[in-house]
Amino acid sequence: MLTNLHKKLILPFLVIALLAASCSSGASSQGGEVKLVLAAYTTPREAYRELIPIFQEQWKEKTGQTVVFEESYQASGAQSRAVLEGFEADIVALSLEADVIRLENAGLITHDWRSKPFGGMVSTSVVAFAVRQGNPKNIQDWAELAQPDLQILTPNPKTSGGAMWNILGLYGAAQRGYVEGYSADDAGAQEFLLAVLRNVTVMDKSARDSIVNYEKGIGDVAITYENEVLVGQQAGQTYELVLPTSTMQIDNPIAIVDTYVDKHGTREVADAFLDFLFSAEAQQVFAKYGLRSPDPAVAQATADQYPLIEDLFTIAHFSGWGEATPRYFGENGIFFQILGQVQGIQITE
Amino acid sequence: MNTLLAGNPETKTTGTPLPWGRWGLRSVAISYLLVMLVIPLLVILQDGMREGLAELWRQVTLPIAWHALKLTLWTSAVMVVINTIMGTLTAFVLVRYEFPGKTVLNAIIDLPLAIPTLVTGVMLVVLFGPQEAVGAWLKDQFDFSIIFAPSGIIMALLFITFPFVVRSVQPVLLELDRTQENAAATLGAGGWTIFWRIILPPLALPILTGALLSFARAIGEFGSIVIVAGNIPLVSQTAAVYVFGEVESENRLGASAVSIVMVGIAFILMMAANYLRKWSRSGSEKEVE
Amino acid sequence: MRTPASTKIVPVTKRLSELRGKWAGWVLITLVIAYVALLIMAPLAALTINAFEKGAGAVFSSLGQPLALQAFWNTIWIALIVVLTHSIFGTIVAWVLVRHRFPGRDLIDGLVDMPFAVSAVVAGYMLLLLFGRNGLLAPLVEATGIRVAFAFPGMILATLFVTLPFMIRELIPVLEAFDIRQEKAAATLGASGWQTFWRVTFPALRWGMIYGVTLTFARALGEFGAVLVIGGAAQGRMMTTTLFIYHALEERQYIGAYSAALALGLLSLILVIGSDWLRRRGHQ
Repeated sequence: MLTNLHKKLILPFLVIALLAASCSSGASSQGGEVKLVLAAYTTPREAYRELIPIFQEQWKEKTGQTVVFEESYQASGAQSRAVLEGFEADIVALSLEADVIRLENAGLITHDWRSKPFGGMVSTSVVAFAVRQGNPKNIQDWAELAQPDLQILTPNPKTSGGAMWNILGLYGAAQRGYVEGYSADDAGAQEFLLAVLRNVTVMDKSARDSIVNYEKGIGDVAITYENEVLVGQQAGQTYELVLPTSTMQIDNPIAIVDTYVDKHGTREVADAFLDFLFSAEAQQVFAKYGLRSPDPAVAQATADQYPLIEDLFTIAHFSGWGEATPRYFGENGIFFQILGQVQGIQITE
Repeated sequence: MNTLLAGNPETKTTGTPLPWGRWGLRSVAISYLLVMLVIPLLVILQDGMREGLAELWRQVTLPIAWHALKLTLWTSAVMVVINTIMGTLTAFVLVRYEFPGKTVLNAIIDLPLAIPTLVTGVMLVVLFGPQEAVGAWLKDQFDFSIIFAPSGIIMALLFITFPFVVRSVQPVLLELDRTQENAAATLGAGGWTIFWRIILPPLALPILTGALLSFARAIGEFGSIVIVAGNIPLVSQTAAVYVFGEVESENRLGASAVSIVMVGIAFILMMAANYLRKWSRSGSEKEVE
Repeated sequence: MRTPASTKIVPVTKRLSELRGKWAGWVLITLVIAYVALLIMAPLAALTINAFEKGAGAVFSSLGQPLALQAFWNTIWIALIVVLTHSIFGTIVAWVLVRHRFPGRDLIDGLVDMPFAVSAVVAGYMLLLLFGRNGLLAPLVEATGIRVAFAFPGMILATLFVTLPFMIRELIPVLEAFDIRQEKAAATLGASGWQTFWRVTFPALRWGMIYGVTLTFARALGEFGAVLVIGGAAQGRMMTTTLFIYHALEERQYIGAYSAALALGLLSLILVIGSDWLRRRGHQ
């Protein structure tokens, strides 16, 4: 029989038990099943949706083990931050190198991830535009983005890797003299950036958020990844892709997070997954979903899908992310200065 | 009533409901609040002050941060004005008139409490987005997009805080003694005069409380605004969205600094609301006696 | 006082003002109904129409998808834990605030309201500062092995924070209005502290608790900002319904997003209106 004392203690125990039950320990590998946590940026979700089952089957055949994937897709910067703060991802597939370097600096990634095939880059894309069906505003290249009364969508570089690629693509193209009417130097590039930023109407958190808003009828042009446009078209969207003559090559890194694979005991599977993703088979799947392959053979095979860009430059043009991020997106970064100028506000001191 | 008893410690408690004694109960309550409330609030304060007060102020007065705070405050203020007027009117209509659909209307008042804020944002975009019914019409007629601008923020806030003024005024209005009104009517006072001079004054406190609650709720709003506002720094980015951006991009200090300001404002507002609540309660008790 | 002269005037002006009053009344009613229709009903209607764009079948099948069901399960689980916790500890806090006097009581009374005004993003951020990798309580996390940030416990804590005021605020007036002599009577008759509470006080708190539970539950169901910051975006175990809706929108699965939104809203609405109706019935 329950005494009074027992009755009094039941409630607190119940609460504690419930709370304890809801706390689960981290992922672990048991006999037949292993869990892999993938933290990615927003754009490649469709690609991974196809790739993961293929890998699961292959792994099962090879080792008899079932791999369960827990996927997370959010803006690259936000994702990188999450992993930094304790999101125990085994693999990170992010939009730009800087977001991986951040984890390296924090000691979460200790191996040389760049020694993997293609310098650790699992996919590439380019900065491009999405325009409405029929291209009513006749956007052919960067220069048209500066026209008055145009509404442009581009995400916010604070959270979105895609946004940073967009801005640098814009800036680089102008600097290299591919934007008519603007001098081929910093001054010209900044003038052009000012003109474009005047036209930006919505700044979303991520590249995916941005294109989805575009699909809702907002804006005339969206500056985005070529890959986003292609995936959207595959999903039935009627917008068109415009490739500028000069644009930025977007290299997407992938890496194993040493701290967590060791903690979860999933290094072997994770390594295998990465090897799979670098294989020709997986690269072709990436190509199916709008991503250009860093693998020259696959790139060759899909050449008709992906036109050559006349002037393709990389982050090297900006001396790497180490230089670029603070210069353009730091507290007094060029981007924010120009943004201030749009409102007539002085950002720098 | 109990105010008499409340003052006398002898009649305060009969025995404690749990076998842990009076201080046991008190310490449970206090530790619960400490863990749930005080420590989280303090940790932000500590992080914001990490590099000194001067640096904190600098972060708060950065143009983008400062603008975000201003935008938050003025959009909330505009919303409060509209909400106060419409909320009071709605309460008045619900209490004083009979009309078809009144019960339905009364139930609808609570709807915003049940809708997750994210959904509110989605609904507004679905209705007012440039491709949709009303939005497209607005765009064609006036070249005006009601969302993705501060007007969208105000609309979202109006939706979310709608119940507060209404539900604050309704019960007081219900209890209002109508003899004064009737007397005034007999003496020839018009409807408006009666409303302004006789009905409104006793409602002042509940209206103010409702307005305060609306304002407090509005300044921190995130879920709907992040969907519907456009979020362009220096144009349509509120403080909450700004903090989110800073948290997600390494500027911890900036996030903490602005958060501290927001928490400070929240503190002042809720203290004021609490004070008002106590004041109105003691006022009504005096009337009864 | 009526004089012979004004006996004729008063009825006339009274009739006129009555008519004016009626007319004014109808203007006001129309105004209010129009406002509510435009602000509240129209968006809701738009959502419903868009959700059912492809028919009811599509709505139900999207709700039945494993990811959606998992998200619902997570949301309800979190809400239940939060309601249970606040029911117990909220009652204790309300009790202490009403029945005890101690220095700082008024300050604490005011503090309890704060989560109402603190932004959800700030709430999530505070937890991140505490339980993130370099957080204040990071050593505790390491020692116990219980992950808080980007894990279920973090989402629970975040939801606990934002729902803190509701139960306490509903219980305090009820406790204050409660006639303490009933308790004294019970004590005189030999009831223990617990018995007195359970059998005499608690039943009187019933309505306060019901409304407190309802508001807490509804708020917990709809929490977004805080769980976004502390919970990240992982699917499966850590996705609440609100996060599911957000991600469905990102994946262009509009029917799925709108359906889940309607389901969530409907659930909360039933709770809120239901408890309102119960309360009104109880008072008859």
